[in-house]
Amino acid sequence: MNKKRRRFHFSPMIDGSSFFIFGMVAAVSFFAGRDFVAQRAEEAIMPGPGLTSMRQLSDYFPPLRGTAGDTGIFVFEGAEAGGNVLILGGAHPNEPAGYVSAILLIENVRLARGRLFVVPRANASGFTHGDPQEGAPQRFGIETPQGTRFFRLGSRVTNSIHQWPDPTLYITPTGQKLAGIEARNLNRAYPGLPRGSLTERVAHAVMELIRKERIDLGIDLHESAPEYPVINAIVFHENSSDLAALAQMALQGEGYEFRLEASPQNLRGLSHREWGDAAGIKAVLIETPNASHGRIKGRPSASLVVDGRDPYYVKAAGLGRLFVPFGPEGIPLRHRVARHLAGVEAVLGALSELEPEKAVGLEGLPSAADVEAQGLGAFLRPPRL
Amino acid sequence: MKYAYHLIVAYLTLHVGWYILREKSFWKQAGAGLVLILFVLRLLLIQ
Repeated sequence: MNKKRRRFHFSPMIDGSSFFIFGMVAAVSFFAGRDFVAQRAEEAIMPGPGLTSMRQLSDYFPPLRGTAGDTGIFVFEGAEAGGNVLILGGAHPNEPAGYVSAILLIENVRLARGRLFVVPRANASGFTHGDPQEGAPQRFGIETPQGTRFFRLGSRVTNSIHQWPDPTLYITPTGQKLAGIEARNLNRAYPGLPRGSLTERVAHAVMELIRKERIDLGIDLHESAPEYPVINAIVFHENSSDLAALAQMALQGEGYEFRLEASPQNLRGLSHREWGDAAGIKAVLIETPNASHGRIKGRPSASLVVDGRDPYYVKAAGLGRLFVPFGPEGIPLRHRVARHLAGVEAVLGALSELEPEKAVGLEGLPSAADVEAQGLGAFLRPPRL
Repeated sequence: MKYAYHLIVAYLTLHVGWYILREKSFWKQAGAGLVLILFVLRLLLIQ
Protein backbone atom coordinates (compact mmCIF):
# COMPACT_ATOMS: atom_id res chain seq x y z
CA MET A 1 0.00 0.00 0.00
CA ASN A 2 2.82 2.37 1.00
CA LYS A 3 4.71 1.53 -2.20
CA LYS A 4 1.69 2.53 -4.28
CA ARG A 5 1.42 5.83 -2.44
CA ARG A 6 5.06 6.65 -3.07
CA ARG A 7 4.69 5.91 -6.75
CA PHE A 8 2.06 8.60 -7.18
CA HIS A 9 3.42 10.96 -4.58
CA PHE A 10 3.53 14.61 -5.70
CA SER A 11 7.00 15.82 -4.78
CA PRO A 12 8.25 18.28 -7.35
CA MET A 13 11.45 20.12 -6.61
CA ILE A 14 10.33 23.74 -6.94
CA ASP A 15 13.61 25.52 -6.61
CA GLY A 16 15.36 28.53 -8.12
CA SER A 17 16.62 26.67 -11.16
CA SER A 18 13.08 25.49 -12.11
CA PHE A 19 11.80 29.05 -11.89
CA PHE A 20 14.74 30.26 -13.94
CA ILE A 21 14.13 27.63 -16.65
CA PHE A 22 10.38 28.38 -16.78
CA GLY A 23 11.16 32.09 -17.02
CA MET A 24 13.53 31.47 -19.92
CA VAL A 25 10.97 29.23 -21.63
CA ALA A 26 8.34 31.97 -21.31
CA ALA A 27 10.69 34.67 -22.61
CA VAL A 28 11.99 32.68 -25.59
CA SER A 29 8.46 31.47 -26.44
CA PHE A 30 7.20 35.05 -26.35
CA PHE A 31 9.85 36.50 -28.67
CA ALA A 32 9.93 33.51 -31.03
CA GLY A 33 6.12 33.41 -31.07
CA ARG A 34 5.92 37.11 -31.81
CA ASP A 35 8.16 36.69 -34.87
CA PHE A 36 6.21 33.63 -35.96
CA VAL A 37 2.83 35.35 -35.69
CA ALA A 38 4.20 38.41 -37.51
CA GLN A 39 4.49 36.20 -40.59
CA ARG A 40 0.71 35.90 -40.72
CA ALA A 41 0.09 39.64 -40.60
CA GLU A 42 -0.68 41.24 -43.93
CA GLU A 43 1.11 44.52 -44.49
CA ALA A 44 -1.11 47.43 -45.40
CA ILE A 45 -1.79 48.24 -49.04
CA MET A 46 -2.91 51.85 -49.42
CA PRO A 47 -4.98 52.21 -52.58
CA GLY A 48 -4.93 55.44 -54.53
CA PRO A 49 -8.01 57.53 -55.34
CA GLY A 50 -8.70 55.39 -58.41
CA LEU A 51 -10.00 52.46 -56.36
CA THR A 52 -13.75 52.01 -56.76
CA SER A 53 -14.42 48.97 -54.58
CA MET A 54 -12.84 46.18 -52.58
CA ARG A 55 -13.96 42.60 -52.76
CA GLN A 56 -12.83 39.27 -51.40
CA LEU A 57 -12.12 36.15 -53.41
CA SER A 58 -14.71 34.40 -51.24
CA ASP A 59 -17.40 36.72 -52.73
CA TYR A 60 -17.05 34.55 -55.83
CA PHE A 61 -16.77 31.25 -53.96
CA PRO A 62 -18.29 31.54 -50.45
CA PRO A 63 -16.80 28.30 -49.01
CA LEU A 64 -13.43 30.10 -49.10
CA ARG A 65 -14.65 32.68 -46.54
CA GLY A 66 -12.74 32.55 -43.27
CA THR A 67 -10.03 30.29 -44.66
CA ALA A 68 -6.36 31.12 -45.21
CA GLY A 69 -7.03 31.13 -48.95
CA ASP A 70 -9.35 34.13 -48.94
CA THR A 71 -7.74 37.29 -50.26
CA GLY A 72 -8.53 40.87 -51.23
CA ILE A 73 -9.46 42.03 -54.73
CA PHE A 74 -8.96 45.68 -55.65
CA VAL A 75 -11.45 46.83 -58.27
CA PHE A 76 -11.05 49.86 -60.55
CA GLU A 77 -13.95 50.90 -62.79
CA GLY A 78 -13.89 53.49 -65.52
CA ALA A 79 -16.76 55.77 -66.47
CA GLU A 80 -16.86 54.35 -70.01
CA ALA A 81 -17.64 50.76 -70.89
CA GLY A 82 -14.71 48.66 -72.05
CA GLY A 83 -12.96 45.41 -71.36
CA ASN A 84 -12.48 43.55 -68.09
CA VAL A 85 -8.94 42.73 -67.09
CA LEU A 86 -7.62 40.61 -64.21
CA ILE A 87 -4.07 41.09 -62.92
CA LEU A 88 -2.72 38.54 -60.48
CA GLY A 89 0.33 39.12 -58.29
CA GLY A 90 1.58 36.86 -55.51
CA ALA A 91 0.54 33.54 -57.00
CA HIS A 92 4.07 32.62 -55.93
CA PRO A 93 4.84 34.75 -52.84
CA ASN A 94 8.61 34.19 -53.19
CA GLU A 95 8.54 36.14 -56.48
CA PRO A 96 8.35 39.68 -55.13
CA ALA A 97 8.32 41.64 -58.40
CA GLY A 98 4.82 40.35 -59.24
CA TYR A 99 3.52 41.23 -55.78
CA VAL A 100 5.14 44.70 -55.68
CA SER A 101 4.00 45.46 -59.25
CA ALA A 102 0.40 44.68 -58.26
CA ILE A 103 0.74 46.99 -55.22
CA LEU A 104 2.21 49.74 -57.38
CA LEU A 105 -0.79 49.45 -59.70
CA ILE A 106 -3.24 49.56 -56.79
CA GLU A 107 -1.62 52.63 -55.26
CA ASN A 108 -1.33 54.63 -58.49
CA VAL A 109 -3.78 53.84 -61.26
CA ARG A 110 -7.15 55.26 -62.23
CA LEU A 111 -9.40 53.86 -64.91
CA ALA A 112 -11.05 55.93 -67.60
CA ARG A 113 -12.56 52.95 -69.34
CA GLY A 114 -13.36 49.31 -68.59
CA ARG A 115 -12.76 47.44 -65.36
CA LEU A 116 -9.57 46.24 -63.72
CA PHE A 117 -9.38 43.61 -60.98
CA VAL A 118 -6.06 43.37 -59.15
CA VAL A 119 -5.31 40.50 -56.76
CA PRO A 120 -1.93 41.24 -55.12
CA ARG A 121 -1.82 38.17 -52.84
CA ALA A 122 -3.28 35.46 -55.02
CA ASN A 123 -1.96 32.70 -52.76
CA ALA A 124 -2.56 34.41 -49.42
CA SER A 125 -1.57 31.29 -47.47
CA GLY A 126 1.83 31.24 -49.21
CA PHE A 127 2.58 34.64 -47.66
CA THR A 128 2.29 33.23 -44.12
CA HIS A 129 5.47 31.13 -44.23
CA GLY A 130 8.78 30.74 -46.02
CA ASP A 131 10.33 27.95 -48.07
CA PRO A 132 11.86 25.45 -45.64
CA GLN A 133 15.67 25.14 -45.49
CA GLU A 134 16.15 28.18 -47.72
CA GLY A 135 17.05 30.68 -44.99
CA ALA A 136 15.09 33.32 -46.91
CA PRO A 137 14.31 36.58 -45.11
CA GLN A 138 10.77 37.05 -43.79
CA ARG A 139 10.49 40.49 -45.32
CA PHE A 140 12.29 43.07 -47.41
CA GLY A 141 12.21 46.85 -47.27
CA ILE A 142 11.78 49.48 -49.96
CA GLU A 143 12.90 53.01 -49.17
CA THR A 144 10.27 55.71 -49.67
CA PRO A 145 10.87 59.43 -49.04
CA GLN A 146 8.97 59.08 -45.73
CA GLY A 147 10.64 55.90 -44.51
CA THR A 148 11.06 52.22 -45.25
CA ARG A 149 8.07 50.16 -46.31
CA PHE A 150 8.35 46.46 -45.58
CA PHE A 151 6.81 43.63 -47.59
CA ARG A 152 6.50 39.95 -46.85
CA LEU A 153 8.59 37.43 -48.73
CA GLY A 154 6.64 34.20 -48.68
CA SER A 155 6.87 30.72 -50.09
CA ARG A 156 6.16 29.44 -53.59
CA VAL A 157 3.46 27.19 -52.18
CA THR A 158 0.53 27.19 -49.75
CA ASN A 159 1.47 26.90 -46.07
CA SER A 160 1.51 23.26 -44.97
CA ILE A 161 -0.33 24.18 -41.76
CA HIS A 162 -3.25 25.11 -44.03
CA GLN A 163 -2.97 22.15 -46.40
CA TRP A 164 -1.41 18.91 -45.25
CA PRO A 165 -0.15 16.30 -46.08
CA ASP A 166 1.31 16.44 -49.59
CA PRO A 167 0.58 13.40 -51.73
CA THR A 168 3.49 11.43 -53.22
CA LEU A 169 2.28 12.42 -56.67
CA TYR A 170 -0.04 15.33 -57.34
CA ILE A 171 -2.55 14.88 -60.12
CA THR A 172 -3.83 18.29 -61.19
CA PRO A 173 -7.55 18.86 -61.80
CA THR A 174 -6.82 18.36 -65.50
CA GLY A 175 -4.87 15.12 -65.02
CA GLN A 176 -1.20 16.17 -65.11
CA LYS A 177 1.05 14.16 -62.78
CA LEU A 178 3.47 16.28 -60.79
CA ALA A 179 5.69 15.99 -57.70
CA GLY A 180 3.70 15.94 -54.44
CA ILE A 181 4.73 19.44 -53.28
CA GLU A 182 3.06 20.91 -56.37
CA ALA A 183 -0.26 20.08 -54.70
CA ARG A 184 0.26 23.39 -52.87
CA ASN A 185 1.27 25.38 -55.95
CA LEU A 186 -1.54 27.69 -57.05
CA ASN A 187 -0.11 27.92 -60.55
CA ARG A 188 -0.49 24.17 -61.04
CA ALA A 189 -4.00 23.92 -59.59
CA TYR A 190 -6.11 25.63 -62.26
CA PRO A 191 -8.96 25.36 -63.09
CA GLY A 192 -9.33 24.23 -59.49
CA LEU A 193 -11.92 22.09 -57.77
CA PRO A 194 -14.81 23.36 -55.61
CA ARG A 195 -14.31 20.47 -53.16
CA GLY A 196 -10.58 20.03 -53.61
CA SER A 197 -7.65 21.05 -51.43
CA LEU A 198 -7.32 24.66 -50.22
CA THR A 199 -5.07 25.50 -53.19
CA GLU A 200 -7.53 23.93 -55.63
CA ARG A 201 -10.40 25.84 -54.03
CA VAL A 202 -8.46 29.11 -54.40
CA ALA A 203 -7.84 28.25 -58.07
CA HIS A 204 -11.56 27.49 -58.47
CA ALA A 205 -12.42 30.84 -56.87
CA VAL A 206 -10.15 32.67 -59.34
CA MET A 207 -11.96 30.86 -62.18
CA GLU A 208 -15.32 31.89 -60.68
CA LEU A 209 -14.10 35.51 -60.57
CA ILE A 210 -13.09 35.23 -64.24
CA ARG A 211 -16.47 33.76 -65.22
CA LYS A 212 -18.72 35.99 -63.11
CA GLU A 213 -16.95 39.25 -63.98
CA ARG A 214 -16.66 38.25 -67.66
CA ILE A 215 -12.93 38.85 -67.69
CA ASP A 216 -11.53 39.32 -71.19
CA LEU A 217 -7.82 39.21 -70.39
CA GLY A 218 -5.87 37.72 -67.51
CA ILE A 219 -2.28 38.73 -66.71
CA ASP A 220 -0.35 36.63 -64.19
CA LEU A 221 2.84 38.26 -62.83
CA HIS A 222 5.73 35.94 -61.95
CA GLU A 223 9.49 35.70 -61.63
CA SER A 224 11.88 32.91 -62.47
CA ALA A 225 15.45 32.00 -61.54
CA PRO A 226 18.16 33.24 -63.94
CA GLU A 227 19.15 29.64 -64.78
CA TYR A 228 15.57 28.79 -65.84
CA PRO A 229 14.90 29.02 -69.59
CA VAL A 230 11.45 30.62 -69.37
CA ILE A 231 12.61 34.05 -68.28
CA ASN A 232 12.22 37.66 -69.40
CA ALA A 233 9.29 36.21 -71.26
CA ILE A 234 5.62 36.54 -72.04
CA VAL A 235 4.02 33.10 -71.89
CA PHE A 236 0.77 33.11 -73.83
CA HIS A 237 -2.20 30.88 -74.50
CA GLU A 238 -2.58 30.18 -78.23
CA ASN A 239 -5.71 32.36 -78.31
CA SER A 240 -3.48 35.28 -77.26
CA SER A 241 -0.61 34.88 -79.74
CA ASP A 242 -1.46 38.10 -81.64
CA LEU A 243 -1.78 39.96 -78.39
CA ALA A 244 1.59 38.71 -77.12
CA ALA A 245 3.35 39.42 -80.42
CA LEU A 246 2.02 42.98 -80.56
CA ALA A 247 3.02 43.53 -76.95
CA GLN A 248 6.50 42.19 -77.63
CA MET A 249 6.98 44.63 -80.50
CA ALA A 250 5.86 47.55 -78.34
CA LEU A 251 8.25 46.45 -75.59
CA GLN A 252 11.15 46.18 -78.03
CA GLY A 253 10.39 49.77 -79.04
CA GLU A 254 10.86 50.75 -75.39
CA GLY A 255 14.12 48.83 -75.16
CA TYR A 256 12.80 45.81 -73.22
CA GLU A 257 13.61 42.43 -74.73
CA PHE A 258 10.95 39.81 -73.98
CA ARG A 259 10.88 36.27 -75.33
CA LEU A 260 7.58 34.87 -76.52
CA GLU A 261 6.80 31.45 -75.12
CA ALA A 262 3.72 29.56 -76.29
CA SER A 263 1.94 27.78 -73.46
CA PRO A 264 2.53 24.04 -74.05
CA GLN A 265 -0.77 22.23 -74.54
CA ASN A 266 0.35 19.25 -72.48
CA LEU A 267 1.52 21.28 -69.49
CA ARG A 268 -1.61 21.51 -67.41
CA GLY A 269 -2.72 23.44 -64.37
CA LEU A 270 -1.01 26.75 -65.18
CA SER A 271 -2.84 30.05 -65.52
CA HIS A 272 -1.76 30.70 -69.12
CA ARG A 273 -3.13 27.28 -70.10
CA GLU A 274 -6.27 26.79 -68.02
CA TRP A 275 -7.61 30.37 -68.00
CA GLY A 276 -7.69 30.14 -71.79
CA ASP A 277 -8.96 26.57 -72.00
CA ALA A 278 -11.51 26.58 -69.18
CA ALA A 279 -12.79 30.15 -69.40
CA GLY A 280 -11.88 31.09 -72.96
CA ILE A 281 -10.20 34.34 -71.97
CA LYS A 282 -6.97 35.73 -73.33
CA ALA A 283 -4.22 34.73 -70.92
CA VAL A 284 -0.60 35.76 -70.55
CA LEU A 285 2.01 35.25 -67.86
CA ILE A 286 4.97 37.61 -67.52
CA GLU A 287 8.31 36.40 -66.10
CA THR A 288 11.19 38.53 -64.81
CA PRO A 289 14.57 37.27 -63.50
CA ASN A 290 14.90 36.90 -59.73
CA ALA A 291 18.21 35.78 -58.25
CA SER A 292 16.77 35.44 -54.74
CA HIS A 293 14.88 32.26 -55.48
CA GLY A 294 17.39 30.66 -57.83
CA ARG A 295 19.48 27.63 -56.89
CA ILE A 296 22.90 29.13 -57.64
CA LYS A 297 22.58 32.09 -55.26
CA GLY A 298 24.83 32.65 -52.31
CA ARG A 299 23.55 33.82 -48.95
CA PRO A 300 19.83 34.73 -49.09
CA SER A 301 19.06 38.18 -47.74
CA ALA A 302 16.63 41.06 -48.05
CA SER A 303 19.30 42.94 -49.97
CA LEU A 304 19.53 40.11 -52.51
CA VAL A 305 15.76 40.44 -53.02
CA VAL A 306 15.87 44.21 -53.48
CA ASP A 307 19.28 44.86 -55.05
CA GLY A 308 19.50 41.54 -56.90
CA ARG A 309 23.30 41.35 -56.69
CA ASP A 310 24.94 37.97 -56.27
CA PRO A 311 28.59 37.04 -57.08
CA TYR A 312 27.75 33.39 -57.79
CA TYR A 313 25.28 34.38 -60.49
CA VAL A 314 27.93 36.66 -61.98
CA LYS A 315 30.27 33.65 -62.13
CA ALA A 316 27.52 31.43 -63.60
CA ALA A 317 26.84 34.07 -66.24
CA GLY A 318 30.54 34.07 -67.12
CA LEU A 319 30.35 30.30 -67.62
CA GLY A 320 27.35 30.68 -69.91
CA ARG A 321 24.96 28.89 -67.54
CA LEU A 322 22.23 31.53 -67.39
CA PHE A 323 19.45 32.58 -69.72
CA VAL A 324 19.79 36.29 -68.91
CA PRO A 325 22.82 38.59 -68.73
CA PHE A 326 23.90 38.96 -65.09
CA GLY A 327 26.62 41.47 -64.22
CA PRO A 328 28.03 42.70 -60.88
CA GLU A 329 25.28 45.36 -60.80
CA GLY A 330 22.71 42.52 -60.47
CA ILE A 331 19.06 42.69 -61.48
CA PRO A 332 17.39 44.95 -58.90
CA LEU A 333 13.74 44.76 -57.91
CA ARG A 334 13.02 48.19 -59.38
CA HIS A 335 14.18 46.94 -62.80
CA ARG A 336 12.06 43.78 -62.52
CA VAL A 337 8.98 45.76 -61.46
CA ALA A 338 9.62 48.23 -64.30
CA ARG A 339 9.64 45.28 -66.71
CA HIS A 340 6.33 44.03 -65.30
CA LEU A 341 4.73 47.47 -65.58
CA ALA A 342 6.02 47.87 -69.13
CA GLY A 343 4.68 44.39 -69.90
CA VAL A 344 1.24 45.18 -68.47
CA GLU A 345 1.06 48.45 -70.38
CA ALA A 346 2.14 46.77 -73.63
CA VAL A 347 -0.36 43.90 -73.27
CA LEU A 348 -3.21 46.34 -72.50
CA GLY A 349 -2.14 48.46 -75.48
CA ALA A 350 -2.20 45.38 -77.71
CA LEU A 351 -5.69 44.48 -76.44
CA SER A 352 -7.01 47.92 -77.33
CA GLU A 353 -5.45 47.64 -80.78
CA LEU A 354 -6.81 44.17 -81.51
CA GLU A 355 -10.24 44.57 -79.90
CA PRO A 356 -10.97 48.30 -79.43
CA GLU A 357 -14.34 47.60 -77.77
CA LYS A 358 -12.48 45.74 -75.00
CA ALA A 359 -9.91 48.47 -74.39
CA VAL A 360 -9.08 49.39 -70.82
CA GLY A 361 -8.12 53.03 -70.27
CA LEU A 362 -5.43 52.94 -67.62
CA GLU A 363 -4.19 56.28 -66.24
CA GLY A 364 -1.57 57.12 -63.65
CA LEU A 365 0.51 54.00 -64.26
CA PRO A 366 4.14 54.90 -63.48
CA SER A 367 6.22 54.52 -66.60
CA ALA A 368 8.90 51.86 -66.57
CA ALA A 369 11.55 54.50 -67.29
CA ASP A 370 10.43 56.57 -64.26
CA VAL A 371 10.48 53.51 -61.99
CA GLU A 372 13.98 52.64 -63.17
CA ALA A 373 15.20 56.21 -62.73
CA GLN A 374 13.43 57.23 -59.49
CA GLY A 375 13.14 53.85 -57.78
CA LEU A 376 10.08 52.07 -56.38
CA GLY A 377 9.80 54.23 -53.28
CA ALA A 378 8.85 57.27 -55.35
CA PHE A 379 5.63 55.50 -56.42
CA LEU A 380 4.67 53.78 -53.17
CA ARG A 381 2.62 55.45 -50.49
CA PRO A 382 4.40 56.27 -47.24
CA PRO A 383 4.57 53.56 -44.60
CA ARG A 384 2.09 53.62 -41.74
CA LEU A 385 4.26 54.61 -38.83
CA MET B 1 -9.38 16.05 -34.81
CA LYS B 2 -7.96 19.51 -34.11
CA TYR B 3 -8.96 19.26 -30.43
CA ALA B 4 -7.54 15.74 -30.12
CA TYR B 5 -4.26 17.03 -31.56
CA HIS B 6 -4.17 19.94 -29.11
CA LEU B 7 -4.98 17.63 -26.19
CA ILE B 8 -2.06 15.37 -27.12
CA VAL B 9 0.33 18.35 -27.37
CA ALA B 10 -1.02 19.78 -24.08
CA TYR B 11 -0.47 16.42 -22.35
CA LEU B 12 3.13 16.22 -23.61
CA THR B 13 3.74 19.87 -22.67
CA LEU B 14 2.59 19.23 -19.12
CA HIS B 15 4.83 16.18 -18.93
CA VAL B 16 7.90 18.13 -19.95
CA GLY B 17 7.02 20.85 -17.42
CA TRP B 18 6.54 18.20 -14.75
CA TYR B 19 9.95 16.71 -15.63
CA ILE B 20 11.61 20.12 -15.17
CA LEU B 21 10.04 20.47 -11.73
CA ARG B 22 11.24 17.06 -10.60
CA GLU B 23 14.70 17.09 -12.16
CA LYS B 24 17.60 18.15 -9.95
CA SER B 25 20.33 18.61 -12.55
CA PHE B 26 20.30 22.14 -13.94
CA TRP B 27 21.57 21.09 -17.37
CA LYS B 28 18.90 18.40 -17.72
CA GLN B 29 16.32 21.03 -16.78
CA ALA B 30 17.77 23.40 -19.41
CA GLY B 31 17.63 20.67 -22.09
CA ALA B 32 14.02 19.93 -21.22
CA GLY B 33 13.35 23.69 -21.29
CA LEU B 34 14.45 23.84 -24.90
CA VAL B 35 12.03 21.03 -25.74
CA LEU B 36 9.32 22.78 -23.75
CA ILE B 37 9.70 25.94 -25.89
CA LEU B 38 8.89 23.91 -29.01
CA PHE B 39 5.87 22.31 -27.37
CA VAL B 40 4.56 25.64 -26.04
CA LEU B 41 4.91 27.25 -29.50
CA ARG B 42 3.19 24.30 -31.13
CA LEU B 43 0.42 24.30 -28.53
CA LEU B 44 -0.34 28.01 -28.76
CA LEU B 45 0.57 29.10 -32.26
CA ILE B 46 0.16 26.33 -34.81
CA GLN B 47 -3.26 26.70 -36.37
